[in-house]
Amino acid sequence: MAMRQTPLTCSGHTRPVVDLAFSGITPYGYFLISACKDGKPMLRQGDTGDWIGTFLGHKGAVWGATLNKDATKAATAAADFTAKVWDAVSGDELMTLAHKHIVKTVDFTQDSNYLLTGGQDKLLRIYDLNKPEAEPKEISGHTSGIKKALWCSEDKQILSADDKTVRLWDHATMTEVKSVNFNMSVSSMEYIPEGEVLVLTYGRTIAFHSAVSLEPIKSFEAPATINSASLHPEKEFLVAGGEDFKLYKYDYNSGEELESYKGHFGPIHCVRFSPDGELYASGSEDGTLRLWQTVVGKTYGLWKCVLPEEDSAELAKPKIGFPETTEEELEEITSENSDSMYSSTPEVKA
Amino acid sequence: MQTPRTIPVPVPVLRLPRGPDGFSRGFAPDGRRALLRPKATEVGEGTQDPPEFQEQRARAALRERYLRSLLAMVGHPVSFTLHEGVHVTAQFGATDLDVANFYVSQLQTPIGVQAEALLRCSDIISYSFKL
Repeated sequence: MAMRQTPLTCSGHTRPVVDLAFSGITPYGYFLISACKDGKPMLRQGDTGDWIGTFLGHKGAVWGATLNKDATKAATAAADFTAKVWDAVSGDELMTLAHKHIVKTVDFTQDSNYLLTGGQDKLLRIYDLNKPEAEPKEISGHTSGIKKALWCSEDKQILSADDKTVRLWDHATMTEVKSVNFNMSVSSMEYIPEGEVLVLTYGRTIAFHSAVSLEPIKSFEAPATINSASLHPEKEFLVAGGEDFKLYKYDYNSGEELESYKGHFGPIHCVRFSPDGELYASGSEDGTLRLWQTVVGKTYGLWKCVLPEEDSAELAKPKIGFPETTEEELEEITSENSDSMYSSTPEVKA
Repeated sequence: MQTPRTIPVPVPVLRLPRGPDGFSRGFAPDGRRALLRPKATEVGEGTQDPPEFQEQRARAALRERYLRSLLAMVGHPVSFTLHEGVHVTAQFGATDLDVANFYVSQLQTPIGVQAEALLRCSDIISYSFKL
């Protein structure tokens, strides 16, 4: 039976979602944080998209957000010239790190001891989270605002991207090791530790480079300008989204476009695979996050596979989500059919 | 007759992801990761919990008592007082998840006995039964 992808829409943000990040796999599952221009980053359960909490405190648009590996800490970068570190279990603000300009990117080391930040002041900063009052170490060299900065090679090196360059720095010596220039603005960067792969997007290109040498490995062209791409943990697929509101899925080895999905009502700003590769999340200008299955039809999270032997009555239950349907539309559908198959929601509560 | 091409069926979903509750910042103290929370300090608050915890405990206890009362009612005759001074009795069956409807059998109404019936909670003013 052919199955059609049902994306799960996570609502709650009131402005465009500009960044998202997954944690590692923890004993409590994995988690997702979303950065939004409404200044209120949200933590969600990674496999269901259920909202857990909102980090309140920033006074401007949040441009970057990240979780540490075990999802006990979160960090956010905002237009209020600060980066903040949060307790991701209680939602409390732990630290505010003042900068001289808009902060765009934050990244924890594997041991959560250091935080890397970067932003419009063109400086990379490394904060020791065990000594928050100490001055951060600064790395200068970028000639335009830093869009993304990531630890790599087991936190011994740093990758950073500004408008037209990607640079590799050595952590210990704080010096530049290598840099690559691009003709077009680099829109996103993702680092895959296993295999030391760097995923870059610029224009309509999705490019893969070695994270160690910055040498190009391969690249694909998409039908539209791409804002973000993510490589599956097992490197079988990659997903990308951009200005045409669609999500594209490619076979990483052959470069063949496997699928494209409509659903978002605005350009897609960020896409990321979950740490187990079973789903990917996309954040859009339309203010929503959507979760998409890697293997369509598989039972996972909130998606429930229905076998052909099961009653057709099972399929008629009111919980079916239709792709490209907003939550409002879904409620309209269930109320229109409220006579026979669908039970109407009772208004009176005990 | 030609076999029709299969129309792709959308993958069924159990429910939609839960969104923000609209009145708090979340991070429920009894959430999945409650064990990771630091224990509440004894100093200052003494052995008392903050008022919100006390209230929540009270709510939970009352809710549990109510649910147990519903369980105790199953199979027993219950008298309902409805609007307009109407009184009916019936064998209690169950309520639904939101306690919006009461499923009863052998409902004795002024116009006869109904074998199975659904009483809307909004129509009920009170009900009583003997344990």
